[in-house]
Amino acid sequence: MTMATDTADRPLAMPANDGGEVAAPPPRAHWLRRLLRDKAAAAAILLLALICLGAILAPWLAPYDPALNSRAVMKPPSFMKGGVPEHLLGTDGQGRDILSRLLYGSRLTLLIGLVAVGLGGAVGSFIGLLSAFYARLDPWVMRGIDILLSFPAILLGLALVAVMGQGIVPVIIALAVSSVPDCARIARGIAMGVMKQEFIEAGRAVGLSDVALFRRYLLRNCISSIMIFLSLRFGQIILIGATLSFLGLGAQPPAAELGMMAAQGREYLLFAPHIAVIPSVLIFLIVLTANVAGDALRDVLDPRLQT
Amino acid sequence: MTTPPLLEVEKLTKHFPVGGGLFRGPKGAVQAVTDVSFSLKPGETLAIVGESGCGKSTTGRALLRLLEPTSGRVVLNGEEITGLAPSQLRAARRHMQMIFQDPFGSLNPRMTVRETLLEPVLLHEVASGERATKWVETLLTTVGLSAHHADRYPHEFSGGQRQRICIARALSTRPRLIVCDEAVSALDVSVQAQIVNLLQDLQREFGMAYVFISHDLSVVRHIADRVAVMYLGRIVEEAPVEEIFARPRHPYTRMLLEAAPKPEPGQARREGAAQGDTPSALKPPSGCAFHPRCPLASEVCKTTRPGDTVIGAARVACHHIEAATERTSIERPWPPALAARLKVLAEARARG
Repeated sequence: MTMATDTADRPLAMPANDGGEVAAPPPRAHWLRRLLRDKAAAAAILLLALICLGAILAPWLAPYDPALNSRAVMKPPSFMKGGVPEHLLGTDGQGRDILSRLLYGSRLTLLIGLVAVGLGGAVGSFIGLLSAFYARLDPWVMRGIDILLSFPAILLGLALVAVMGQGIVPVIIALAVSSVPDCARIARGIAMGVMKQEFIEAGRAVGLSDVALFRRYLLRNCISSIMIFLSLRFGQIILIGATLSFLGLGAQPPAAELGMMAAQGREYLLFAPHIAVIPSVLIFLIVLTANVAGDALRDVLDPRLQT
Repeated sequence: MTTPPLLEVEKLTKHFPVGGGLFRGPKGAVQAVTDVSFSLKPGETLAIVGESGCGKSTTGRALLRLLEPTSGRVVLNGEEITGLAPSQLRAARRHMQMIFQDPFGSLNPRMTVRETLLEPVLLHEVASGERATKWVETLLTTVGLSAHHADRYPHEFSGGQRQRICIARALSTRPRLIVCDEAVSALDVSVQAQIVNLLQDLQREFGMAYVFISHDLSVVRHIADRVAVMYLGRIVEEAPVEEIFARPRHPYTRMLLEAAPKPEPGQARREGAAQGDTPSALKPPSGCAFHPRCPLASEVCKTTRPGDTVIGAARVACHHIEAATERTSIERPWPPALAARLKVLAEARARG
């Protein structure tokens, strides 16, 4: 692109990181206010923010080292019968403080989810947008995506772990790869709609290069819809990620991860159910709030749903 | 007396393959535009008219290579557009711009007016820095908007205003040719009149040529110097505007003029009004493509395609020109609303 000298008071936006440009036309305050007017959405966003905050601030908030064993094993939460005041949510089978493990565990769980959605979303959306932009590529790319679609995430995770060994990296890769086809299909659908609009042709008529057209015309007009889809996808990824941990792929002890915590608690389910139930409830809350927030975001931002 | 033509189009053809898939070849082709030839002098306006689906818009897009022509030559200002490599073509777009039909769809909703207008200016290095900003403001005032509109987004404007922005964008590189594809069809009548007048004023000021694609004969009559009538992808008649309205020679031209809405309710419909539908461009009729609908059709029309006959300044492709021309001339006044509006605007302009 030849945007050499540009000292205009509002320079041509160079959309390298388009994240900031997402919601240009509907003024920001406007859609945010509409979003928060929805009580369920407001509650979900608040709760999700609290969980994220807890995860981020885990080293400062956690009362104990999450891997520290103690003799107080299988203590129920302090507000229940038999609980001890030192451990607010009780301890697990090895006497580790569940609250601390929960804070650190949600950290890892959210990180896995975010990285997987980010990677898979970026790659998938790029493939989808490209496929819509160059119609000639479309049939080939989409058949490739169909092949990818036929691998279930859990199977892919197992295979990757078999090849790469245990750890969170193969799990992240498996989750990312399994989001690629969905993201590609959604992004392609959104982009096809945008490509049909006359302004794409108008940009071409002006003499823009494909790169400029792709970034400034196509990507900028698709990005907000794609982000909404990714926020919905995030909940699913967390769930699949926790499932993989539950199966013993993913994070390895003594690290805390919500799915793994639930799996470990399974052994004590009959006499100390809180060990499995508490992390499961948190997974449930993360998935639920992410879905409600994503839905609300779509309702507010998607112009096709506005009446 | 003959100025060299700005634009020469020779046997421009665009066929769209249909059917076929990943491993199969196309089954046929929609013959959207076939052997279209015309030329255009600097500062002249050629209108292309015809029914929907006759290939008007495809012609406009193919001659700017927004659609890759199947065959044919387009020469703009001595430069063969059809032979340019992609990067040369992008550079050549400086001299040929386009105004689209839909003022709501043809501006990027995520770019401010300033970004939209700066884009071609910087891209083609028309101006840079402070001068580019000034030029954008000049453009906005030229098309009847003001400089403070620059930082707004397209959705904040009305249809007419947006079309002005589109005109400013087309004008921003000082092109020699602007293709107006149904540029006023989506606007209501009073705004149409303003935009048509604006286009004419700009032509007088900057001297660019227009290819004005339209189905609205009253607008065409107002703005065009010459008119080309298209039917099923071919030009069937091309003549100066007074000529075509006073003495339409091709039976299809007559049919079109007949079909235009009449302003006076009392006036009786003349015979020979439009009959039948346009045949499929996938399988155009043999011989003269118009013969299934033509009142004058004879055997020869079914077998042989008529060549172009030049009569004075007109060019007609018909076997029965003599018979066709015998008919009375058709006088068609403006629709009253548009006429009144144009009169008011003309008076306002005359007052300065």
